[in-house]
Amino acid sequence: MKLSRRGFLAFSGAVCGSLILGNDVEAKEGKYAVLVDLTKCDGCKYEPVPRCVKACRQYNQNRFPEPQKPIQPYWPRKTYEDWSDKREKLDTLTPYNWIFVQKVNIDGQEINIPRRCMHCDNPPCVRGCPFGALTKQPEGNSVINDKLCFGGAKCRDVCPWHIPQRQAGVGIYLQILPKYAGGGVMYKCDLCKDKIKKGEEPACVIACKERLGQQAVFTFGERKTIYELAYKKVKEEGLYIYGDKQNGGTSTLYLSKIPFEKIEKALKEKKERFQMSVNVENKIESKFNSIGKIVLSSGIISMIGAVIGALSSNKTKKEDETDEK
Amino acid sequence: MKNKIKRHTLIEIIEHWSIALSGIVLLFTGLGCLPLYKRYYITEIPGFGWTSDFYNVTMVHYIASVVFVAGVIFHIFYHGLRKDFGLLPKKGDLSKSIKVIAAMIGIGKEPPSDKYLPEQRIAYVGIGLIILILTVTGIIKILKNLQWIVLSPTMESINTLIHTLTGFLFMFAFIVHVGTVLLFKSNWPLLKSMFTGWIDEEYVKRRHSIWYEKIKMH
Repeated sequence: MKLSRRGFLAFSGAVCGSLILGNDVEAKEGKYAVLVDLTKCDGCKYEPVPRCVKACRQYNQNRFPEPQKPIQPYWPRKTYEDWSDKREKLDTLTPYNWIFVQKVNIDGQEINIPRRCMHCDNPPCVRGCPFGALTKQPEGNSVINDKLCFGGAKCRDVCPWHIPQRQAGVGIYLQILPKYAGGGVMYKCDLCKDKIKKGEEPACVIACKERLGQQAVFTFGERKTIYELAYKKVKEEGLYIYGDKQNGGTSTLYLSKIPFEKIEKALKEKKERFQMSVNVENKIESKFNSIGKIVLSSGIISMIGAVIGALSSNKTKKEDETDEK
Repeated sequence: MKNKIKRHTLIEIIEHWSIALSGIVLLFTGLGCLPLYKRYYITEIPGFGWTSDFYNVTMVHYIASVVFVAGVIFHIFYHGLRKDFGLLPKKGDLSKSIKVIAAMIGIGKEPPSDKYLPEQRIAYVGIGLIILILTVTGIIKILKNLQWIVLSPTMESINTLIHTLTGFLFMFAFIVHVGTVLLFKSNWPLLKSMFTGWIDEEYVKRRHSIWYEKIKMH
């Protein structure tokens, strides 16, 4: 009896211990970040396709979906999301276009904003995916596993920028209940996951550098260096920053001469598909942190209650036990 | 009035219903965490509009898990320390279970039982295991969302997948559990005792004769 009681106490100690441990900041935030200096982006004026967009499509072309046709609608609905006939669409995000250059006019000045996944520090898409198809890599990028993705598009719903895009007619759902559950596979930028794992730069960053050299829009590097560089530019050049605070912090930092409040307003007025709100709270943290702690506490309190209850009732129970034997 | 025998203590009744009712909420919100309800127009049913927002659904999932986790942990520690092991399977339970289930549908005679039916002991381990896996993976999910632990990408995927797939097993076990109680009249007195704690002496004598003898030996 004594031994098992000790065992239980040791276990409870371990549970409490594990609650206190673990606060690895680096693992949370990721290794790399990208600076996107909007003051330098002209959307590759006079070129048919912006370099970053072209490079992304070229590098990732073998990963683009090849849906089986005819595609079944998402029963009981009559709709489905199919972009396979719009592969050449470059002015928005699609399963075949993971970065695009958004254009917006503010006070007579055209702003070009390369838009793609922000790669959040605590990404709601990763935390919310019920199939574990989305993961956050140590490099800081969030990656969709196209072999696991069911295409429910929850990631797009919970993403503050609604970035991931769905293609029907591909993916694991076709092998399980194609008519009743799942809707394809979600696609988005993963910062060229294989390249950055090897320490190389993403395709878009390289392409931009090839055109603009030292004046490139994108700067890829160690997160700490990129953040320091961004804040230095904010201070020295009087620029505005976006991405360091939004959704609790991201691996993408935009710099602009124009306040992001103005950009947000202009995009809203234009009813753009991809908005850029300045106030983006991380709902995983703001909504679930306190209730999460309550769940853990309720477990510990109930364990203490159970131990006290069992020990006090054991005294009265001893007689019954010997009878049962 | 018929003679009654005490089958469940108040603590056991509270344990059962706290886990059962929060389990139903968890099952509903768990399914709602999959992108299903919008597609199947559940979100458009009056009173279910809140299910269209994943953050709402997850919040209710969390709230229900406060009760569920407390119930499960209490159950393990309380009965573990008291050595209440009557619901753990014994040798020969599998073959006896088949006989019990056959008798429920009118084939053959039911073997005499102790306080619990052999199929209940096996079902207990099954559903217990499912609940344990859900609780552990669920707690890991909470710790991960709190960022108190940082899982490797593979571990995060595996943990999430296990939680989701075991959730489906829980749904299956829940349907079987409620189904066998409601569909077979021979089990109805057990349902009643899950509310009141008491069961008819006649019923115990007939179905749980081994237990009855033990009580009489007192």
